[in-house]
Amino acid sequence: MSTQTKSPEIVLDYVKTVGIVNNGYNGRGFANPYDIVVGGDGRIFVLNRCDPLRAAAIRIGICNLDEEYLGEFGRGSGTGDEQFVWPVAMALGSQNRLYITDEHSHRVTLYDIPSNAPVKYLTHWGKHGAGDGELNGPAGIAIDSSDNVFVVDQHNSRVQKFTSEGEFIANWGSSGSGEGQFNLPWGAAVDDDDNIYVADWRNDRIQKFTNDGEFLAAFGSPGDGEGQFHRPTSVAVDAEGFIYVADWGNERVQVLGADGSFQLLLKGEATVSKWGEEYLASNPEEKAQRDVSNLIPELPAHLNTPYHISSQTEPYFWGPVSVSLDHDGRLYVTETNRHRFQVYQKR
Amino acid sequence: MTTTKREKSLIVIQLTGGNDYLNTVVPYEEGKYYDSRPAINIPQDKVIPVDGRYGFNPSMGPIKALWDEGKVAVINGIGYENPNRSHFRSMDIWHTAEPDAIGKEGWLGRAIRDLDPQSENVLTGINFGRGLPRALACPGVSVASVGDLDTYGLFPDVQDEELRRFTLEAFSRMYGGAAGRDPVMEFLGQTGQDALQGADILRTAPAMYSSTVEYAPDALSQNIKSISQVFHAGLGARVLYTQHGPQFDTHSGQLATHAKLWGELSGAVSCLMDDLKEHGTEDDASILVFSEFGRRIQDNGSGSDHGSAGVAFMIGGAVNGGMYGEYPSLAEAEQVEGDLRSNNDFRSVYTGILEDWLELDAVPIVNGQFEKFDIFTS
Amino acid sequence: MISNDTDLMAHLLRRAGFGANRNELEEYLAMGYDGAVETLLNPSDPRNMPDDLIRRYHVDQSELRDLPGSAAYWMYRMISTACPMEEKTALFWHGLFATGYAKLNQARSLLNQVEMFRRSGLGSFEDLLVELSKDPAMIVWLDNNENHGSAINENYGRELLELFSMGIGNYTEDDIKECARAFTGWTLGNAEYMAIRAAKDSIWPYGRIAWHFDYRDEDHDDGEKTFLGETGRFNGEDIIAIIVKQEATARFVASRLFQFFAADEITEAGEKIIEEMMATYFSSGYQIRDMLRTLFHSEYFQSEEARFARVKSPVEMVVGAVRMAGNYQNPYLGIEGVSNTMFYMGQGLLRPPTVEGWHEGAEWIDSGALVERVNFVAKELSDVSSPGVRSIIDRLEAGGDQGVLQPSDLADGCLDLLGPIQVSDETRSVLVEYASRLGDLDLNGHQPGDQAEQRVGAMLRLVAATREYQLA
Repeated sequence: MSTQTKSPEIVLDYVKTVGIVNNGYNGRGFANPYDIVVGGDGRIFVLNRCDPLRAAAIRIGICNLDEEYLGEFGRGSGTGDEQFVWPVAMALGSQNRLYITDEHSHRVTLYDIPSNAPVKYLTHWGKHGAGDGELNGPAGIAIDSSDNVFVVDQHNSRVQKFTSEGEFIANWGSSGSGEGQFNLPWGAAVDDDDNIYVADWRNDRIQKFTNDGEFLAAFGSPGDGEGQFHRPTSVAVDAEGFIYVADWGNERVQVLGADGSFQLLLKGEATVSKWGEEYLASNPEEKAQRDVSNLIPELPAHLNTPYHISSQTEPYFWGPVSVSLDHDGRLYVTETNRHRFQVYQKR
Repeated sequence: MTTTKREKSLIVIQLTGGNDYLNTVVPYEEGKYYDSRPAINIPQDKVIPVDGRYGFNPSMGPIKALWDEGKVAVINGIGYENPNRSHFRSMDIWHTAEPDAIGKEGWLGRAIRDLDPQSENVLTGINFGRGLPRALACPGVSVASVGDLDTYGLFPDVQDEELRRFTLEAFSRMYGGAAGRDPVMEFLGQTGQDALQGADILRTAPAMYSSTVEYAPDALSQNIKSISQVFHAGLGARVLYTQHGPQFDTHSGQLATHAKLWGELSGAVSCLMDDLKEHGTEDDASILVFSEFGRRIQDNGSGSDHGSAGVAFMIGGAVNGGMYGEYPSLAEAEQVEGDLRSNNDFRSVYTGILEDWLELDAVPIVNGQFEKFDIFTS
Repeated sequence: MISNDTDLMAHLLRRAGFGANRNELEEYLAMGYDGAVETLLNPSDPRNMPDDLIRRYHVDQSELRDLPGSAAYWMYRMISTACPMEEKTALFWHGLFATGYAKLNQARSLLNQVEMFRRSGLGSFEDLLVELSKDPAMIVWLDNNENHGSAINENYGRELLELFSMGIGNYTEDDIKECARAFTGWTLGNAEYMAIRAAKDSIWPYGRIAWHFDYRDEDHDDGEKTFLGETGRFNGEDIIAIIVKQEATARFVASRLFQFFAADEITEAGEKIIEEMMATYFSSGYQIRDMLRTLFHSEYFQSEEARFARVKSPVEMVVGAVRMAGNYQNPYLGIEGVSNTMFYMGQGLLRPPTVEGWHEGAEWIDSGALVERVNFVAKELSDVSSPGVRSIIDRLEAGGDQGVLQPSDLADGCLDLLGPIQVSDETRSVLVEYASRLGDLDLNGHQPGDQAEQRVGAMLRLVAATREYQLA
């Protein structure tokens, strides 16, 4: 770990916040979003995990950066086609394919999401178990340039590689804290060299592998300092090799260089979204009080942990469970406890 | 046809979440309605006209049919002073008939107590759904809460019939045993026996029921069917309660959700009325439909937020159909903090039900004297 | 009935905890009674189900926006804690300083209050009252955010005296006013915005915003006040210092602790213990821990009279059965169904019906609640796949005559391992007869779910269904 303080090689500017809480199936807004993927055409797909009381509202919502809400799909909670119980993550394959994992149903669901036609359900694959190709709590998912599908098989402590049709190719990993070992891993990412990154959640680190599962490097250690993580849930890598990490337990996002060097961290600085403005406009008494409130208050000692601070400080990340990138240098941070995502632009 | 005079029963359907009054009984002639609700209004050509100025939500076809038969009373602008816009608190107020203090006894709990002062029939009041709503709670008053009528009772998880029977027998013997001088054991024994008895009796209801009416599979319709089964089994149930919702809390995506809920509700009520007619009991049951508040006049872009004055319905063969109360004005000057102003207190409706339908003294139950509407015939 | 160490320890653990399975019981027995009391009264590492696991799978327990998940969150803690007295203490204060979700629409802040009870609930009552007065959930609950120097709101001032310390008859209306004046300015951050959000149940735009204490000096009435005969420019802490000196306060705290931890009804013997606890209250500097030590060491508490002298609350019924069965040790889909059961039985965590809390004792029982109570524990304890039940089966087998149990052994063994629970002769004879239906029980070579194991499950079901099981 370098002791010099180098100025970061990357700068991220805050752009905007999109979202508002919506516990119903229809209409603009999100409910406990768990992941986002951004399509090449600018459509943003948001996976809504929802709370049990309103599990019928589990859905994938579609919007764009202009904060237009374009609709939703999915058939709520259950184990039938197009239904989800505990959906975790999504990934975009070529040919407009959207993959969604469900860690309770132990499967991957596929949709066809063409730009100019309705979303179409394709199929789901996955069987509960510990054998090759079987899944136990599939969490993160990532697609490489050959459309191979990498699924983080959480309770089997491994990563599994499939064809896009779900045929088993290979797997690697075992339970533990050594190289190539995992402890309840969560998110996954692929870089431009088709290397695989895994957010090794309870080992408080990111691991990097070749496309065949050979260990390359591990980044991070437990803690709340720079370059340290507390339960990282998601990872993304851009074309220059910068590594973005959703440092969930520390309620922040960190960016590392390709060599793992700490670059910067983000705490979140959300502003009122367009949908939020609409709500406040039709609730003027509430808006009036909000306008004279201090949304970044000082807190007493016993509430001085990242989680509690974020629970009281609305602009900060709260439950930043996923980091996603588009092809225009933008970072999207999905916040499950705030029902929104914050957008940053790489300069 | 039996010659014994059947006692009158009250069926209550609680709409949980805050039913949107303005899109239930739509003031389709008012420009302000359309101006205030660009996102969620019901277009004039979709409304089901009722009396030239107001109309029902398009999903309420079956209710309109009942209206045409004179069986639907619409109580407009119902609420209470100093409206509370919190779900829990407002529902508590409706349940305990206590807007100004925190009440501990439900109005129907008290009614059940007055209907059966000697506690002779543990089935006088029944809730269909789990967990007892505060409306039915009153110390010393036994009210069964039936999640699923077919399996209601003790040890529903025991699949083996014979084993269940042996277990129930053992239970009965243990709870029937002497308690010595221990008052708590005595009380437990008595309560256990009441519970057993109540469950045994309730379980006979579905078997005794026959009807050509087919209820829809949604949860509300199934609960209404259970209500019909129990009501027609002649078990002396006088107050039967159930809930629909809580999706009435339509802060977003209102149009689709509200339509679905009213579709289900209208279907269930219509089936129930058909069922009553088939059994010749149309005049023996009346249905109260209420919600804890209405919603705001101005929409929020996708739905509506908590408001105050709302609408209630009284439906039945013995009901004087028609519009009661006044439809609140949408004019700014008349609003209460952006909401509709109520013009009648919900305890007036309670008073009418208690006095004219259940033949009880209303004043001690609703904590006061309230002028009632003439909702019931004869 | 012969009293022995096991019976006594089981009794202590029912009161200072949620009961104990035989493994736990043996651990505490090894400490001896005094050692067990000290361990219970000095909770250290609860080793409960970790927060990160709960929040990963239960998104609703991450934000704690609504009630069902929030109640389940606390229930997970009660189920998995190694320090049950910490949870029982929090539950005690939660019932006493009853603050409800209904008005607040803020579960995170309510749970912060519960955390405060864990932190301060066994320490000085004076410190506890100060923390309570600074707790934002309490402030909103009793409208102290509306209590201004220019226009006082007496709600908190009144209830502090009436329900949280001395009780009616020990102060005047003037004292209430002076008390309220002293607490002006004790509010929460962004009070007006938070209040309107609470009143409207607003979750917009971005979910809930939790609360923290804020002191507004400019809103505080700094003038001279006369309270319970003392005069000074009292602020809230000063009022509390006066309150805790009063004998009425000592009696209040001692009586409520007694009724929660000792017996629903206060007999003459109980009255004496309350007076001993009052003496400890003063001699220890208002320490709750010391008062409870006095109670748990008293002859009364250890006597027959105190056994099974309480009706279990719904929380004790549910958590006790779940802990005995060893279930829900990991995040479980549908856990709200389990915590909702407590609500169906009449005790919803975080939603006491009024500031007076719940009416306990025999008032927990009505026919609807009894059906819920019996059904839940019967189902929980008859499931032979649960770890706790499997452990009971193994112990029964080990205790049998080469793995064979006579009907009376089966009945007695289940009564023992679920408690020990004492039942009347009549109850026991019904249990024995039930067991006799199928003759001797041979547990040799039993396989998961087989007939032999099912017979044990059936007996456990019936024991759980007894009247006696309803008592603690």
